Amino acid sequence: QAPIRWRLQTYAGPALAEHVIKPAIDSFNKIAEGQMEIELYTADQLVPTGELFRAMQAGTIDAVQSDDDSMNSPVDIKVFGGYFPFASRYSLDVPTLFHQYGLKDIWEEAYNEVGVKWLSAGAWDPCNFATNKPLKSLEDLKGLRIFTFPTAGQFLTRFGVVPVTLPWEDVQVAMQTGEIDGIAWSGITEDYTVGWADVTKYFLTNNISGAWCGSFFANADRWNEVPDNLKELFKLAMDSSHYYRQYWYWGGEAQLRTEGTKLELTTIPEAEWKTVETEALKFWDEIAATSPRCAKVVEILKKYRDTMEKAGPPYRYS
Amino acid sequence: MSAELIILFMFSSMLLSMLTGQRVFAVIGFVGVVAAAILWGNGGFEMGFAAAMKLMKWYPLLTLPMFIFMGYLLSESGIAEDLYKAFHVWMGGLRGGLALGTIGLMVIISAMNGLSVAGMAIGATIALPELLKRGYDKIMVSGVIQAGSSLGILVPPSVVLVLYGMIARQPVGQLWLAGVFPGLLLAALFAIYIVIRCHLNPSLGPVLPKEERDLPLSEKLKLLKAGILPFLIFFLMMGLFLMGYTSLVESSAVGALSALAVAAFKRRLGNGVLTRTIEQTLGISCMFMWIILAALCFGAVFDGLGAVRAIEGLLINDWGLSPWTILIMMQLSFILMGMFLDDTAMLVIVAPLYIPLVGKLGFDLIWYGVLYTITCQISYMTPPFGYNLFLMRAMAPPEISLADIYRSVWPFVIVMMIGLAIIMAFPQIALWLPEQVNVRG
Amino acid sequence: MPDVLKTYVRVVDRFNRGVGRITMYLIFVMMGILLWSSVSKSFFLPSLWTLEMAQFVMAAYYILGGAYSLQLDSHVRMDLAYGRWSPKTKAVVDVITIFMLFVYLFFLLYGGVSSTAYAIQYNETSYSSWSPYMAPIKIMMVIGIFLTFLQATSIFIKDLAVALGRPLA
Ligand code: NA
Ligand code: NA
Repeated sequence: QAPIRWRLQTYAGPALAEHVIKPAIDSFNKIAEGQMEIELYTADQLVPTGELFRAMQAGTIDAVQSDDDSMNSPVDIKVFGGYFPFASRYSLDVPTLFHQYGLKDIWEEAYNEVGVKWLSAGAWDPCNFATNKPLKSLEDLKGLRIFTFPTAGQFLTRFGVVPVTLPWEDVQVAMQTGEIDGIAWSGITEDYTVGWADVTKYFLTNNISGAWCGSFFANADRWNEVPDNLKELFKLAMDSSHYYRQYWYWGGEAQLRTEGTKLELTTIPEAEWKTVETEALKFWDEIAATSPRCAKVVEILKKYRDTMEKAGPPYRYS
Repeated sequence: MSAELIILFMFSSMLLSMLTGQRVFAVIGFVGVVAAAILWGNGGFEMGFAAAMKLMKWYPLLTLPMFIFMGYLLSESGIAEDLYKAFHVWMGGLRGGLALGTIGLMVIISAMNGLSVAGMAIGATIALPELLKRGYDKIMVSGVIQAGSSLGILVPPSVVLVLYGMIARQPVGQLWLAGVFPGLLLAALFAIYIVIRCHLNPSLGPVLPKEERDLPLSEKLKLLKAGILPFLIFFLMMGLFLMGYTSLVESSAVGALSALAVAAFKRRLGNGVLTRTIEQTLGISCMFMWIILAALCFGAVFDGLGAVRAIEGLLINDWGLSPWTILIMMQLSFILMGMFLDDTAMLVIVAPLYIPLVGKLGFDLIWYGVLYTITCQISYMTPPFGYNLFLMRAMAPPEISLADIYRSVWPFVIVMMIGLAIIMAFPQIALWLPEQVNVRG
Repeated sequence: MPDVLKTYVRVVDRFNRGVGRITMYLIFVMMGILLWSSVSKSFFLPSLWTLEMAQFVMAAYYILGGAYSLQLDSHVRMDLAYGRWSPKTKAVVDVITIFMLFVYLFFLLYGGVSSTAYAIQYNETSYSSWSPYMAPIKIMMVIGIFLTFLQATSIFIKDLAVALGRPLA
């Protein structure tokens, strides 16, 4: 019998995909032993990232790895994908929120409405700035054209940032052709891995979110056709991809901050950065007003934040 | 269907359909959408339009209409006549001097524009009639103009290198800088070829009569003023870009605006020249864009059906070829395909296959961009399919026949292949300059 | 050729020529946007919308210009054999091979309509912080592809007339 074939497109380019998804897909294919074969495609390879959702819904692509924001999901909660400002401090926050605080059910419900199977969310790296100018105070953000996620970009306009959206693969070139002045898309591990550290000079240690939140999705019909054993195997593969990223980034961030030679670190004083966080909480309330489901997510985020602050170190230090 | 069969099916049906003479974009798009409809499975019908959304996000393509517009205006603006007069007087005393002057003119035009169209238009309408009138050999001079104008895509700015940069994800500024010395090298090789030919056979390029070039030195020096405007345009485009005031696409708009300003200043925009220019710009831009649109679809379908993996597997694993063998095979296949295919289509279809491979084999992708561009220049001139051939046919005076045009290109194709070999052997010719000038960060 | 076809050809050609003659001025719009982008970032705050807006105009430019560029015969062909044929032979072959153009345009149109329907159904906005609605540009693209399709039918009729030895004027 011919194997089930899936085309899976990730939002990450080849250099990054090598770490964040390829190992999991390779293992899946090996264990599936010809019963199923997943072909991995990287950012914009088959369809542009902004069209990922539609392509998956139409069946042009069978499965996707992306955050909700980047793939332009037609669901109200897409704003929480990618980097929702200050929603998480550490990468373990994301799975905790999904599995213990109820985000999982909300995501399943939202995507069922639009004919796509949401499968599993995982965390990636924090969202720092890598720029060609040193950032030492909030004032320095003014007028900078920054490649970032749509929602994070909307938030950052409050500090004078001019957000720019480009195909992920063009970011490095856009830095060099002067289309953008910096990148607020990742932590330092990614900056080094994908070559952005070669085209920027400074790295801001303050972040606007401690962990990216993104998911695996599949076309609902294609998912239903997969036999149960392979569904279970795919879940394990997703978990192994989540797990790999947990330590790859956690270790990578610390190592490159201390040993990396390509980027000079700068920091905006904690007290000043606090105003960004305060502003983010206002932004949360504005988002909560957009739909009842968003209100529910914001309520969960607040409850979680509250719990973590009360728990004190090592959960929160301030 | 196996991936190998798909490769065979898609390429052979594309090449066969092209032989019918149907529009190139229609053929490429047809094979792409039909292959998707039959072989893709669910959602395959969407692949044609998905390419349109992809194309929209390719922002460096904005430079294309700008450079086309600029090229047409430059040939209308009168800049070239002034320059040519200067070359005429200064170089007319040498054997083949006017042909050498034409190469010089082409280098300057190339430095102001990103395509070969401007050079062809100027060469065929301004230089060619003059050269023929002075008894230059028609076959040699039509080769000179086709070869010289092809430098437009190698000497910065270059649209081909912009497209290459988009696919290879390499910085355009560095690619442009890498084109400088190879461009000058090719110009020098052309010049050497002309000097040798004319030395062996003076009747190919007779010396100009003395009265035509015997001007007082002060007059001669005045003619050099013709170089000021080109330099200014070059500076406005490249200088502002390299200094960080304009981005790449903005600099192409600055270039277009400056060409417009020069033409207006020289009062050359009357009599419907401007309307004709923007009409031609629309036509040529559409030609390029629709080919890219179709080729993006073809390429994504080809990739999604597993053909790219199959070719990688064959070259690297199954046949176990050495990196240099693969590289040389690629260049030869580019030259071969370039005889039959449009270079833009070639780039969009084949480059996604070759470029990752070149990277994996450990070669420098900036250097490879230069190699690729030179093969494009060759493909512009190799029959049966080549833009410079088409343009030459359309613009040359009637005494130059199709057979003359075909015969004229071969010596220059060989010279270009020698240039290609030199740059393959000495990558520093391309890479030295980008290593010295660090464009932004 | 029946009169109705002659009228059809005349109307389609004239309409598409009109659209093309307007579209060709979009080059100045693109130039203006790009120049504004560089001026605004040099002297004021950079604009959020310039790059994306220029991309929209570029898409409108080449797709709305598609029909007129067919009319102007701007598209290259590989003319290894084609270039040597008589006008009549060319027309005979074109009448047959133009179905490739029809098929390609049909699939483009199919994808365009489906993508536009999606954009309307979900109020799709662009994947960016500026986040403009996508329906207008997609509708424009569908119109452009449709006009190109009409132009192809007009060319088909003209070629057919030549192939039958009774060219339309
Ligand atoms: Na050039
Ligand atoms: Na050729």
